[in-house]
Amino acid sequence: MARYIAPVQGKVSQLIDVIVLLILSIGALYLPLWMHMAGAAKTPGVVENPTWESLGQNAVQAGQYEALGYTPATAADLITARFDYSFSYLNLIVMVVVIVGYFVMMLKFSETEYREVIAEKFGEK
Amino acid sequence: MDMWTYLEYGAWALSAVLGLLMVADWLRTDSTYSEEVLTSSREGELEAMTEEHHLEGGQG
Amino acid sequence: MTDTDITSQAIDGMGPHGTKVGLLRVLGPAHVWALGVGIVLVGEYMGWNFAVGKGGAYAALIACWFAGILYSCVAMIDSEVTSTVAAAGGQYTQAKHIIGPLMAFNVGLYLTFAYTMLEAANAITAGYLIDQVAGMTGHQGGIDQRPFIILAIMFLAWLNYRGVLATLTFNLVITAIAFSAIIILFLSTSGVIGAGDMKHADLLAGQASLPYGWIGVLAAMHFGLWYYLGIEGTTQAAEEVRSPARSLPFGTLAGIMTLLIAATLTWYVCSGTLPWEFLGDGVNGSVAPLFDTARLSGSQALVWLLGIGTLFATLASANGCINDASRAWFAMGRDRYLPGWFGAVHPVYRTPYRSIVFLVPIALIFALGAPLDQVITFSILSGLLEYTFMPLNVILFRKKWPLATIKRGYEHPFHPLPAITLLALCSVTYFAVFLGYGTQLVAMIGFYIVVSLWFHFWRYRFVNRGAQFTMPWPRPEGY
Repeated sequence: MARYIAPVQGKVSQLIDVIVLLILSIGALYLPLWMHMAGAAKTPGVVENPTWESLGQNAVQAGQYEALGYTPATAADLITARFDYSFSYLNLIVMVVVIVGYFVMMLKFSETEYREVIAEKFGEK
Repeated sequence: MDMWTYLEYGAWALSAVLGLLMVADWLRTDSTYSEEVLTSSREGELEAMTEEHHLEGGQG
Repeated sequence: MTDTDITSQAIDGMGPHGTKVGLLRVLGPAHVWALGVGIVLVGEYMGWNFAVGKGGAYAALIACWFAGILYSCVAMIDSEVTSTVAAAGGQYTQAKHIIGPLMAFNVGLYLTFAYTMLEAANAITAGYLIDQVAGMTGHQGGIDQRPFIILAIMFLAWLNYRGVLATLTFNLVITAIAFSAIIILFLSTSGVIGAGDMKHADLLAGQASLPYGWIGVLAAMHFGLWYYLGIEGTTQAAEEVRSPARSLPFGTLAGIMTLLIAATLTWYVCSGTLPWEFLGDGVNGSVAPLFDTARLSGSQALVWLLGIGTLFATLASANGCINDASRAWFAMGRDRYLPGWFGAVHPVYRTPYRSIVFLVPIALIFALGAPLDQVITFSILSGLLEYTFMPLNVILFRKKWPLATIKRGYEHPFHPLPAITLLALCSVTYFAVFLGYGTQLVAMIGFYIVVSLWFHFWRYRFVNRGAQFTMPWPRPEGY
């Protein structure tokens, strides 16, 4: 097989490649944040005039909270906040398809490229 | 103004100094040496020599 | 000019040559340990406690141990492969030789992102800690954390720029101090010596035992990874270690044992002191749980010790992250996977100086602009994708080069059991991430898909084909 000679990349083209990568990667983190789809927010429950008892705290737990400088009123949101773990199976399936699809795509492309590398390195069989 | 305000200014200043030191050295290095020397590092060069022993000595 | 002559007989007939300025081989096994544990130990000082919030304290302990199994598999697999593939870039170079270029490109990005995000998280924590200290010394109204966040990153980048030996020796010292602080806290509060101060029975009574039931245990796996995330970074030092085939497996396996101990002790003292709702909320509650535990111990000495421990742990971690991220970025530049400009080595300090400088502003963007749990999630997801790659990698490695064909510095036992276990635990963790951060997960994989297409159809044309296979290995079986 003819040896592949890679073209030499010019300075401007190098710079453009870096900028493309930067935009993509910063976008990937900030997009969910900007679209307010970051999820994982806890919702505090509502407790009127909270006491340690009404917050379900035993004496030791209440004692530790007080040692940390909390009162029932300031600790109420912290204590009652809960995650919502309900999910739709449709979303789950979408996620599985995306992950598996990603790895399958990558292994396929990699395999093609890899055969080329081996053929050039060790010669055709 | 208490100590922490001065510390804040100090941190800004020190960050700037360290950043400038790095950038200055980077620009100086780039202009002193040729690109060919700077990017001459090749993967596996040292391995080629060290791993050879393993292959000879440990084939069984 | 041909700088890579794969037919040369001068060296061994296969290896490349032409290096005028390369990285320096100066590190020993202790530095490898310091790099691995240094990056991770901060996970015991902050971040792991999000797992408590996800499912309660017991869920966090179960997650801690299952994640421990996951990482033991990672460490074993990684030790075997890396004891033969000893080059900067670590898993990136492994992927390039074993699976193929596109996989390698992705792995290189996982590594850079996992470490750069972790570095950002560390800087955020360091800033918070200094703010706390200011509060404790009587400063009113809080401080501007930004200069301290920037200083932490700048100082460590500068240290990395100036040479790897000083960087990792510094890491060895501060990691050892941070680790000792955990041991001392455990000894003085657990009741092993003198009267204990642990309140597990009462703090974990009733609804506090498993507040979300068993789904909470699954959900906790997400942040369970945080106890150990980054231990696989030891391989990035491969090109700078004096005898990689021996030092890397030793440093990595010693590191994972250190972390299993530290993680369990940390869980024990924190969950026995802090109520789980407070402990589990790493944003509004306990940002630095070991520090908070020390505060409740009533001992001023412990407060200072754990405060210093937290600061050192964040610095050691950010330091190791700069080291690892820049090595991965450098290795990709050297192969033209990224612009070749990044593949430069400093002729005096012998460090990949351009990669180090380039990653500084990126770390700053995330450290100054994004919330801590998002940054951590980004880091965890990149790590998780990397751990999914590892079992595929080792299975193909054993298939293409069975044990008899290449001498390994370390052979991991029970193959393919660790690979299968690792894959199963990764699946569980994907589900855990999906439960809270499904959008980020899909956004992130979307990013990797786009970037992969970009690489395959555009970027790969600048890469020489055969020359990137640099290991003196025989032809893989089946090709």
